[in-house]
Amino acid sequence: MAILDVTDLSVRFGGTGANGREVLRGVSFSVDAEDFCAIIGPSGAGKSTLIRCVNRLVEPRAGRIVLHGEDVTAMSTRRLRQTRRHIGMIFQEFNLVNRMSVMDNVLSGRLGYVGTLRSVFKLFPSADIARALEVLDRVGLSDHVDKRADQLSGGQRQRVGIARALMQDPKLLLVDEPTSSLDPKISREVMGLIREIAREFDVPVLCNIHDVQLATEFATKIIGLQDGLKIFDGPVAALDRKTLDEIYSMEVL
Amino acid sequence: MSAAAMALQVEAVRRSRKQRWRRSLGFYGLIAALALVSAYTVLVVDTDWARLGSLGAVLKSVGRFLAIDWSLIPHLVEPVLETFMMACIGTLVGAILCIPVIWMGALNITPSRWIAYPLGRFLMTFSRSIHEIVWALIFVSAVGLGSLAGILALAMRSIGFIAKITAEAIENVDPKPIEAIRAVGGNGLQVLRYGIMPQVLPVVLGTIIFEWDINIRRSAIMGLVGAGGLGLTFHRQMVMFNYPGVTTVILSILLLIVVGEVASHYVRKAVT
Repeated sequence: MAILDVTDLSVRFGGTGANGREVLRGVSFSVDAEDFCAIIGPSGAGKSTLIRCVNRLVEPRAGRIVLHGEDVTAMSTRRLRQTRRHIGMIFQEFNLVNRMSVMDNVLSGRLGYVGTLRSVFKLFPSADIARALEVLDRVGLSDHVDKRADQLSGGQRQRVGIARALMQDPKLLLVDEPTSSLDPKISREVMGLIREIAREFDVPVLCNIHDVQLATEFATKIIGLQDGLKIFDGPVAALDRKTLDEIYSMEVL
Repeated sequence: MSAAAMALQVEAVRRSRKQRWRRSLGFYGLIAALALVSAYTVLVVDTDWARLGSLGAVLKSVGRFLAIDWSLIPHLVEPVLETFMMACIGTLVGAILCIPVIWMGALNITPSRWIAYPLGRFLMTFSRSIHEIVWALIFVSAVGLGSLAGILALAMRSIGFIAKITAEAIENVDPKPIEAIRAVGGNGLQVLRYGIMPQVLPVVLGTIIFEWDINIRRSAIMGLVGAGGLGLTFHRQMVMFNYPGVTTVILSILLLIVVGEVASHYVRKAVT
């Protein structure tokens, strides 16, 4: 059963005038409950934009995004916030609050659940703190709980990012180029961790990744984007040399 | 590129340099002329050279200050403390009054770009463009003589600088953590608390400490217009022609400022 159904998604940056640019042009796809779906394509193909439309960090111009049977594009701001708290997001540059501790960063994954007043004073319930400790242990950071986020290495920071997403009890993981700021060995580890966690917590993953090798190694399903158009959608096995050349042909030019 | 074309380009570079050189020469010439005219009108025309007397007389007048009035010292303790506290409370009140001004005047969090933002910016400039002595005069006439007027004057004068620096820090925050807080379902206040505040806090605290440092200096002269502190003692010594007394007050101000300087150094280190 499809968790996420995207239909005819279009995004335009810079208004409708002559300076505007079509970033996504009528993209449709769906993500099933057990999918690890990788979006591949050259830089500027619209991968990040596509992923950010799902939790409406970017507003689409047209199209429908149905998550668990509810249209995200039609939601009120309030409903959208409630929905976002179930969508974990992992970022290319980790997007941690550098001057806060690892613990506070992980706890910030609960912001959608705790009251505003409590969160302003960082008064998270003990259950959340216990959960944060568990999650940090799971990603292998138990020794770094009280460190400041900017004291960690790139790989460790990404693990904090993963822990923060796990705190949300996510029903979908959006992952935006998780390995672009990391070296090849750490990249593999991080991708492996994301895959393990997705299985453990039974969460489907929608992951941007420009590294085709990593994509084919870790994903179960591939979506190929080029210049805002979907030109491939299928299981990893169906992705052949010719299709890849087609997807990345823009880069040669 | 052919040799001829190269020579042409070299010539073009030379010409543009010469032009720039001529332009800067003109600029400095203008400044020199301005300085000369100012010096002539202000110094040569305005100064009462006859009254100045000989060089010896000038030195003698200055020499009257080279003594310390020890008997004054016990009477300085209270005004020194009062000056110090005025600076502390004035800065604190200023920092609190800043908050709405910052909220209005930072482009990325302002409630309205067309009304609140210009108003916030105007308040920042307004606060700074009025001298602390003028603020003190206004508050002395509003709340009467004493340190309350001085505190309010310092607070009003501090708003501009703290608010401007903070608003600019907020406009320059890294948007990435903010995106993350929005993505987990955080509301506006949570974005402010988790995405923006940790990023700007060191700048804000540093600025407040800097302003406090300056406010110690400012509060030392508030008394000249009756707004409390050491200024009043200073003024009294001056009108009594007690020159050693003036020196003593100046030294106590110096001491206070050194203490403030040292304290702010350590406090700044602690918060950043």
